[in-house]
Amino acid sequence: MTLLAHPDAPPAISDRRRNTPDRVLFVTTLALSMLGLLMIYSATRVGLERDNLPASFSMERQMIFVAAGLILFVALSFVDYRELGQLAHIIYLGMIALLALVFLFPAVKGAQRWFDLGYFQLQPSEFSKTACVIALAAVLGRPQVKLRWGRIGQALAVIAVPGILIFLQPDLGTMLVFAFLTIVMLFGAGISGRQILVLSGLGVALLATVAQLGVLRDYQVDRIRVLMDPTIDPTGIGWNIRQSKLAVGSGQLTGKGLFQGQQTNFQYVPEQGTDFIFTAVGEQLGFVGGILVVAAFLVLVWRLLVISANARDRFGALVALGIAAMFVFHVFVNIGMTIGIMPVTGLPLPFLSAGGSSFLNFSIALGIANSIWLRRSPVPVPV
Amino acid sequence: MKFGTRLTVVAAAFVAMFGVLGIRLWFVQVAEGAQSAEIAEEQTWVRIDTQAPRGDIVDRSGVMIATSRFVPRVVVDRRFVDPAQKDALIQRLSGLLGLPASELDALYEDAGLNGRFPVTEVSTDTAYRISEQISDLPGVSIEKVPERVYLVGPTMAHVVGHLGLPDVADIESRPELDPNLRIGKLGVERVYDAVLQGVPGYSELRLNRQSEVVEERLPVPPLQGATLQLTLDLRLQEVVEQALASGVVLANEVKNDDRASGNEVNHDASRAAAVVLDVTNGEILALASVPDFDPSLFVGGLDSATFQALNDERAFNNLAVSGLYPPASTFKVVTYVSAVEDNLPLADENLDPSSGLIHCNGTLRLPGFEEGSQQVFHDWYTVDKGWLDIHAALEQSCNIYFWSIALGTWRANKLTDQESIIQEWARDLGYGSFTGVDLTGEAQGIVPDRALFDAWKQFQVENPEAPARLEPSRLDLPEGPFLGGDLMNLAIGQGELTATPLQVAQSYAAIANGGFVYQPHVVSSATARDGTVIFEAERELVREIDIDPATVQSILADLNRVVTRGTASTAFASFGASLNNVGGKTGTGQTIANNDNHAWFAGVGPIDSPRWVVVVLIDEGGSGGRVAAPVARHIMQYLMGEIPDPIVEGEAAD
Repeated sequence: MTLLAHPDAPPAISDRRRNTPDRVLFVTTLALSMLGLLMIYSATRVGLERDNLPASFSMERQMIFVAAGLILFVALSFVDYRELGQLAHIIYLGMIALLALVFLFPAVKGAQRWFDLGYFQLQPSEFSKTACVIALAAVLGRPQVKLRWGRIGQALAVIAVPGILIFLQPDLGTMLVFAFLTIVMLFGAGISGRQILVLSGLGVALLATVAQLGVLRDYQVDRIRVLMDPTIDPTGIGWNIRQSKLAVGSGQLTGKGLFQGQQTNFQYVPEQGTDFIFTAVGEQLGFVGGILVVAAFLVLVWRLLVISANARDRFGALVALGIAAMFVFHVFVNIGMTIGIMPVTGLPLPFLSAGGSSFLNFSIALGIANSIWLRRSPVPVPV
Repeated sequence: MKFGTRLTVVAAAFVAMFGVLGIRLWFVQVAEGAQSAEIAEEQTWVRIDTQAPRGDIVDRSGVMIATSRFVPRVVVDRRFVDPAQKDALIQRLSGLLGLPASELDALYEDAGLNGRFPVTEVSTDTAYRISEQISDLPGVSIEKVPERVYLVGPTMAHVVGHLGLPDVADIESRPELDPNLRIGKLGVERVYDAVLQGVPGYSELRLNRQSEVVEERLPVPPLQGATLQLTLDLRLQEVVEQALASGVVLANEVKNDDRASGNEVNHDASRAAAVVLDVTNGEILALASVPDFDPSLFVGGLDSATFQALNDERAFNNLAVSGLYPPASTFKVVTYVSAVEDNLPLADENLDPSSGLIHCNGTLRLPGFEEGSQQVFHDWYTVDKGWLDIHAALEQSCNIYFWSIALGTWRANKLTDQESIIQEWARDLGYGSFTGVDLTGEAQGIVPDRALFDAWKQFQVENPEAPARLEPSRLDLPEGPFLGGDLMNLAIGQGELTATPLQVAQSYAAIANGGFVYQPHVVSSATARDGTVIFEAERELVREIDIDPATVQSILADLNRVVTRGTASTAFASFGASLNNVGGKTGTGQTIANNDNHAWFAGVGPIDSPRWVVVVLIDEGGSGGRVAAPVARHIMQYLMGEIPDPIVEGEAAD
């Protein structure tokens, strides 16, 4: 396994210099955040001016989150991630408490996801993603000869509790994130082929039961129907997917230019600053801009996998892998939704979508990853 | 599997996911991008059509008959109305316009999701009040919409026609029609609707998601429809219409006198028609039908009670082209032409073989079909008019003479191809077929002959339940249902023969001009607003008939004798110096029992160089010489440049 080995793996411990932070990771993240600020400004200025607010209101707000995110990144880089592993149960319980507390707050847009803190609406489900990565890594990261069913059961139980709370909010997107994290981390933790088969069988049975019970809400079913057939009800339930696809498509190869494009400027695309921020990228910067963003995320994920491969211990490797999975899933589902291959779910695009909770969560995740990188072993440890 | 290997598998899966994104991005943005860009561009623009004003209608000298003006109208465009604001909007509009909210709501719902609908036409005051509050009325606009204006009221109504909303059949034949916009429904408004309509203009607005206008393209103004020039002359038309109205009044005065003197009168006269036709080219110079209507009534939509009342009195029927009547003695000129041109034999009964004269003594007796029986034909007059030649017979409208022609022909040619020789003349002169005039509702008329009766017989035998055309006794006749008596009836314009006043006019014109059957028409040209001529009606020769000019001269001279010495001499007594240059023929059409006779007159002038034909018909007006001839005389005085005298009763003649 040399592909993901650290490029300049030293021959001997004594020759190694002090570890440096992951500069590629940092620079890529910073670049995405800067692009995010620009796109948020571009996508929100018209609507803000309509509401007699300054055109740069949303962007300025996001700048605060960028600054806060930077601080969290640096702070967590200094924290030894192994301490997080030891605190995993506290982090986990804190997360459960926060997820339960949202039900004391009034619903917004039919869902209870937020604490209204005045200036800032805290969305615990965002932070729960990284918290779950840590909790799962803590369970699966304990030394083992072989991943046994007991351990798998523990992991599933750990993810089930926040999963149910998220389901009650409801927040389908975050639930899917949990599912994806769990699958990827179980795989990384050494699940066997037979175990995969059994779990897949259970998963299918669970999905069938869910479908049978009609647990999915009407709007969730509609989103899947629209994905299957984008022509239905183009002014109603089909509006979002149709308009976002038109926005991205109309950017063509090189885009209409920054701040140009009627899909964005005339507000044909919903939630332009947040979930659908990629439509602004696609329309204004074209395929070139879009593919660069995808490439930047690929770099990010590549760095996270390298960190995982070089982690000092099994816990760190699994945390970095979980974080990588979290990023991949957000990017895939978010961009996929704007180009008609994924249903509309409220998953933000990391570092580009306006929103404090998600930005801070991703910053924390990368801070932890950097901490793992800084404390990597001189030679890869067998995990 | 080692962790590193597992990581490689995961990495491969992640790369694959990003690969899917990249490929899909290429597909959406590059492969399909141009198409999406076009759709995205399209969907932000809305198009608002602006109605074009209808083209003007002018008379032959350019006097405006119908034009268009602009009136303010309230229009609601649902594309600009937030659904949440709908109810408030309807309440406000209801208050401003004084219309029930339920009615507005129905209009709103009927218009559909992206509908745009006119609410009502409003006064300038209301328009001003609404425009002051327009910012509080989303989707509402005040538009200047064109509206038809008829400048001469009911004058020329049947030629000009009227407007109405398109019905199902209209939409089927012209799918491009807007079901909310009025089209021509009658007269030239209908026949020339396509050129009168013009081309709608439009403006294009770019809307954001909130339906606010963010950009506007230069509007394309509507193009007014073409100007239609009629062949009719407004002043002549007014003379004709007034004369016709006086004729109806006269007919009823005469009926009152008749009643007073104990004669039987069945109905008052209420319907009449008149045509003035240019014999040199088929142009209709005047065309009138009584009762008439005011086309202005239809401009804003007609209430059903008024429409029903007008429809019940058949005001929308243009009797000049759709009224079918036995042409009666006016048809004698056709029999005359045939008799002279084809040298038809006269029957023996009232004939003096040496002189060739017919004794017009009031009765024609023929041997009957059964032993010992006789059939007696009574003429309309009671005083013996003496021995007459064909000239005097026309002058005096002697039925016996024309019966003799028919009877002689029948006896000589029965069951040969010469049997229908008079009918062939009639058909050549335009009877029995549509003239093709550019007006709505034209009737065809009937020229009866053996073939037609045979067809009727066959239909009657095959469809015993259907109303019978022929008396049952005719069905069993060995030589077929068409009889000599039918030909005799035809020769004096009676029996199954029917014709419209325009057909009668066309036949007189063709005789007067020496045999040229021209297509009658009411429109001479259509000119677009920019001056380009869309079409110009040319003189269209339908058929040329071979008539000896001597025959034509003979008939014209005899028609003059009718007005100087014959059945119309009383009616024309007041005619001035040009009396010798005009002519005509009276007619008194008998119809079904319990209906009074139809009064006809067909006039020609000037005799030395015929220019026009005047045909007057008064439905159940009584005697042609007494009632129709004075009306025609009045019109002909005007045409000859004389000062028309009042319309007074003429001689009671056939």
